[in-house]
Amino acid sequence: MEQEAPVGVKQGGDAGRSLLSRYAPAVAPLLVLASLAALPLASPGPNTVRLLFVTLTLVTASVGWNLLGGFGGQVSFGFAVFYGLGAYTAALSINGGIPPGLAFLLGAAVAALASLLVGLPTFRLKGPYFAIATIGVSEAVRVVMTNLPWTGGASGYRIIEKGRFFQMHHYYTALALAALAVGISTLVRRSKLGLALIAIREDQDAASDLGVNPFAAKLLVHALAAALAGAAGGVYARYAAFIDPDGVFAFRNGIAILLMPIIGGVGTIWGPVIGAFVYGLIHEEVVAYFPQAHLLIFGSLLILIILFEPGGVMGLLQTSLRFIRARSSVGSHS
Amino acid sequence: MAPILKLDRLTRYFAGLAAVKDVSFEIEPGGLVGLIGPNGAGKTTLLSLVAGSLSPTSGRIEFEGRNLTGAKSFQAVRAGIARTHQIPKPFRSLTVHENVEVGLRFGRLRRTANHTRTAVEFLDMVGIAHLFRMPAFLLSVGDLKRLELARALATRPSLLLCDEICSGLTETETGLILRLLCDIRRAGTTILYVEHNLRAIMSVCDPVIVMNYGQKLTEGTPGAVQNDPSVIEAYIGKKAMI
Repeated sequence: MEQEAPVGVKQGGDAGRSLLSRYAPAVAPLLVLASLAALPLASPGPNTVRLLFVTLTLVTASVGWNLLGGFGGQVSFGFAVFYGLGAYTAALSINGGIPPGLAFLLGAAVAALASLLVGLPTFRLKGPYFAIATIGVSEAVRVVMTNLPWTGGASGYRIIEKGRFFQMHHYYTALALAALAVGISTLVRRSKLGLALIAIREDQDAASDLGVNPFAAKLLVHALAAALAGAAGGVYARYAAFIDPDGVFAFRNGIAILLMPIIGGVGTIWGPVIGAFVYGLIHEEVVAYFPQAHLLIFGSLLILIILFEPGGVMGLLQTSLRFIRARSSVGSHS
Repeated sequence: MAPILKLDRLTRYFAGLAAVKDVSFEIEPGGLVGLIGPNGAGKTTLLSLVAGSLSPTSGRIEFEGRNLTGAKSFQAVRAGIARTHQIPKPFRSLTVHENVEVGLRFGRLRRTANHTRTAVEFLDMVGIAHLFRMPAFLLSVGDLKRLELARALATRPSLLLCDEICSGLTETETGLILRLLCDIRRAGTTILYVEHNLRAIMSVCDPVIVMNYGQKLTEGTPGAVQNDPSVIEAYIGKKAMI
């Protein structure tokens, strides 16, 4: 109404800005989702679609990790285990004649079950034990899978699917899963579980002294996070049609899944998404240009973020927004 | 009347040191019981044992007729025991009302129609309702102590354990907190109050339990305890022999 008033040009502008700032958090994600869904209109090349597909599976794993590591403050280096178990479960299921959708679900379920094996002994302890245990478990699982003859061991495992290969079909599966992950993350953040997790992150003893069962909350969110990583692994495996332990169970995958939320902003809804896009889109270029030094580059990036902007890209955005608002309010008063 | 809390030969060792040894006492429902003693007497350890933050080496804790020995702190909360900490432990990144909501949503009565409004009621009770949207890390020590109390009350305890809630507060703030404790007791919550500040405890508590070296020294009305020679000795030492 205000915008229609003939004299209210400036007023209309103000109203527009406040409307924008009010609805931006809800509209921006929908715009991103819509433009990703409308990707075929831009008739991208198969390599672009592949890159975006991989990035979207990374988004899912990153958002999953953030549930546990960002909200709950439990740092895991071992998400490659869940990604890999999801990949292998889905691969075996698809070859066994199970429909892909159900195979991804099975991958998620196996990953969630595996998360209990890590969580049950370590979540009773406080301190860094969980983080340390995840490193050991990750390497142990990779070694076991490398020597397991049943799944081809180190030579890997091939998925054989009859019928034509539709790249966009895979792309939309990854997009839907990533959207589901963000939806789950939003729900968890607003839920009672989310409140418990943040309380645990801030002070586990105090949370327990107010009736929160830290063990149960951590176990639950670990399973949820593992399920998302497992589903992402499954979707990736079906696309790749070939997986091997050094590919999906690699420790560097666990590091990458941890790095993405930190780049984007740990403990936020959108940080892990932004981080996954940053990492997913530049990772291959960096590896291509600096085949020897890419780990050094990502390591240095990690140190810089932790030193100068622990909030990641989201933190940087918030700081700059505050700066711009402060500047503009000074300007309007003078 | 059946006691609300009954401790039977409660003992807790840290390595070889008995921080609490063979402590037995009972608390009647509706009381405001003081627990005093010199530094290192085992007061906070005893409180942590009752709250489930620590588990006893031996002995028994009975609460409202139920055996709570070895219960974890979240189980104690659900049974109706809440505690505050001597050094406040806020959830720093959460707002003041979200801090209270943790107690509301995970405490004994989990069903509240409007969490935010109920949280504000508890904040109003301790006098910091105006800070409800502020992140907890911005609060002063005095306000953090009040938040600590509001959070514990939000779990709807029938027994509240207060650990040196007045330490580090000004005289005026201490007076306000003591009045608040009396109000809470009048509303039907039993309180076990650990305090260093003898004047504070003597003014509101009845009875008073005295601990020294991990053991119960004596128990009685504030007047009787103050004049007990063993208590005087524990606090200021034996009379010098000339």
